Amino acid sequence: MNRTENNAAPVDKPEDIRPEPFQFTGTGREYFGIWIVNILLTIVTFGIYSAWAKVRRQRYFYGNTRLAGHAFDYHARPKQILIGRIIVLAGLFTYNIVVNLFPLASLALLLLLFLILPWLIMRGLRFNARVTSYRTVRLDFHGRYWGAAKAYIAGPLLAAVTLGILAPLATRWAWRYSLGNLRYGGRPVACDPNLKSLYGQWWLSALIVLIGFVLLGGFSMSIYGFLGWEDSLMTKNEIRIAILSTTYLFMLSIILIYAFAGLFYRAGTRNIALNAAILDERHHFSSALSRRRYAWIAISNLLATLFTLGLARPWAAVRMARYVAAATTIRIDGSLDDYLNQVTETGPAISAEYLDMEGFDFGF
Amino acid sequence: MRMTVKTVIVTADEDAAELAAGSPENVTVSDRIGAIPRHILFEDGSVFETDDNDAVDDWLASRFCSRTGILHRLERFHPRLALFALLVVVLFAGLYRYALPAAVELAVAATPPDATRLLGQSVLSSLDHSSVLTPSTLPQERQDAIAGQFRDLTRKTPQGEDAFTLLFRGGEHIGPNAFALPDGSIVLTDALVGLAPDDDAVLGVLAHEMGHVAGNHSLRSLYRAAGATTLILFISGDVGSGIHDILVQGTGLAALSYSREQESEADRYSVTLMTKAGRDPAGLARMLESLDRHPHAEDGTDFFSSHPATPARIEAIRRHAAQPPEG
Repeated sequence: MNRTENNAAPVDKPEDIRPEPFQFTGTGREYFGIWIVNILLTIVTFGIYSAWAKVRRQRYFYGNTRLAGHAFDYHARPKQILIGRIIVLAGLFTYNIVVNLFPLASLALLLLLFLILPWLIMRGLRFNARVTSYRTVRLDFHGRYWGAAKAYIAGPLLAAVTLGILAPLATRWAWRYSLGNLRYGGRPVACDPNLKSLYGQWWLSALIVLIGFVLLGGFSMSIYGFLGWEDSLMTKNEIRIAILSTTYLFMLSIILIYAFAGLFYRAGTRNIALNAAILDERHHFSSALSRRRYAWIAISNLLATLFTLGLARPWAAVRMARYVAAATTIRIDGSLDDYLNQVTETGPAISAEYLDMEGFDFGF
Repeated sequence: MRMTVKTVIVTADEDAAELAAGSPENVTVSDRIGAIPRHILFEDGSVFETDDNDAVDDWLASRFCSRTGILHRLERFHPRLALFALLVVVLFAGLYRYALPAAVELAVAATPPDATRLLGQSVLSSLDHSSVLTPSTLPQERQDAIAGQFRDLTRKTPQGEDAFTLLFRGGEHIGPNAFALPDGSIVLTDALVGLAPDDDAVLGVLAHEMGHVAGNHSLRSLYRAAGATTLILFISGDVGSGIHDILVQGTGLAALSYSREQESEADRYSVTLMTKAGRDPAGLARMLESLDRHPHAEDGTDFFSSHPATPARIEAIRRHAAQPPEG
């Protein structure tokens, strides 16, 4: 409240707006210990510790994500995570029994699963928001069932049916739902990414998929052609095996092409979505991921983890968290402390640690 | 922050006014994880945040002589972590190699016969209803002849005659084929009978399927797949989504190699049973050769495509058949 109210200058004077970058302060060395102890105790306790492991991991990542010198915090209790996991496991168990014993009923069960999936996603997003706090102020999530159904069932289906041509539409729905329904201490986050800008990030990935398909098509045509050759020296059985493995490689290549193009798309659309996100109509988010750098980090992380039999995973996870945090900024309009005082005074009047967290984490 | 024995008092500096205070019993201190800030929560809802983890631990130790922070001590960067990594690899291998098969055995033993009967019947009825299988057009006397020899074969098994049921079916889509259901039903297609060079070839295949029934193979595969998925779901933790996908694909491949093991086990069962019944133990090998020559084998839709009738397999059967019977 240092600014005088009768100041005639416009509120959005440039010097009043300070960009505050996010920062990730964890290290691979530190996370390695947490990570390996998590796995060890999870194995020793036959999986029960996995709930405690998740809380420790999340607290490490949230607690090392800092904005203006203060860290985020994760408040889920291990028991909530454990109950959620037991429910999911029991559900999978029942599903498998029914599918195997009554194959004809499995179609109805699949339909049922599709019907409850949006609800599970909605509850999961809400749980994750409610257990997150910054400066003792909690996040909350106000999305509803139909929003989740549109963003996470209809959207992906539409994108898949059109072979990815309508993917930006699905991306827009997903960001609008997951980010646009967030509240920070009762203050809304608005997020409505422009469809045209999303398509601007789409064409590069579309080109990658197209080139990949052309190369793959030519390559597999020549292999199949060779196998169909009358005077082939291979026996019928060898040809059969060759056709089977070529088909398997073909499917694998399609998945890899989409995954590769998806990395560029994900980074680009995250920039668009965050650049269109505003907290409380005042504070603008921004994201400046380089698509190439993001893809490089993701791919080299995967390879490093693979070739060290998983041991490089802590380093890889920290490396990605560092990059993504550093590329994210929130432009604070006015003084952050004043704003936080306002939020605490007018927001839900319970301290973060005391807010009752109903619900369980289903891990979606 | 000063922490005396009786109260915890937070002040801006040594002399400033008290910001928050409470007795240690009513103060909650968050666990130490890496170097993230600690939160001290007071009764009135105020929270004190500090990066001075060591000071908080010293106070906790002096106050409660508690062992809080044992996890953090384990997690600290130390040569011990290399031992933990080794232990994880050994334990994971042991879990996969010994605990998973043991759990599968336990689950198979605990499955009531009613459940396997239901399982077999529902699979059969769904195949019949979706017209993958059609009624057999084999002449009745041919059916009776095969069924009679099949019954003789079942009498030589420890499970006895009642454990197996032979079913004749047609079915254009699946071609020359035979498969076993968990309840002991063995389905034989007309096309396979038509392709067989002799009766011992048909019986060799039936004995192979009886081997699947006797070994509870379909139930085992089912439980094993479920167990492997659970193992990945729970144990793997934070491995990243890419590696997670690779692991899931990996269990698929492992299941393939597992099913190949089951095939060779059933092959050996066929040879042993055929020898015991005084029939030609190489009948199965002859059938596999005929199948490989059959034009239908090319489109890869038949049952045998999941385990290609490689010359190696045929040779293994021949080699096993040439050995003197065990026991």
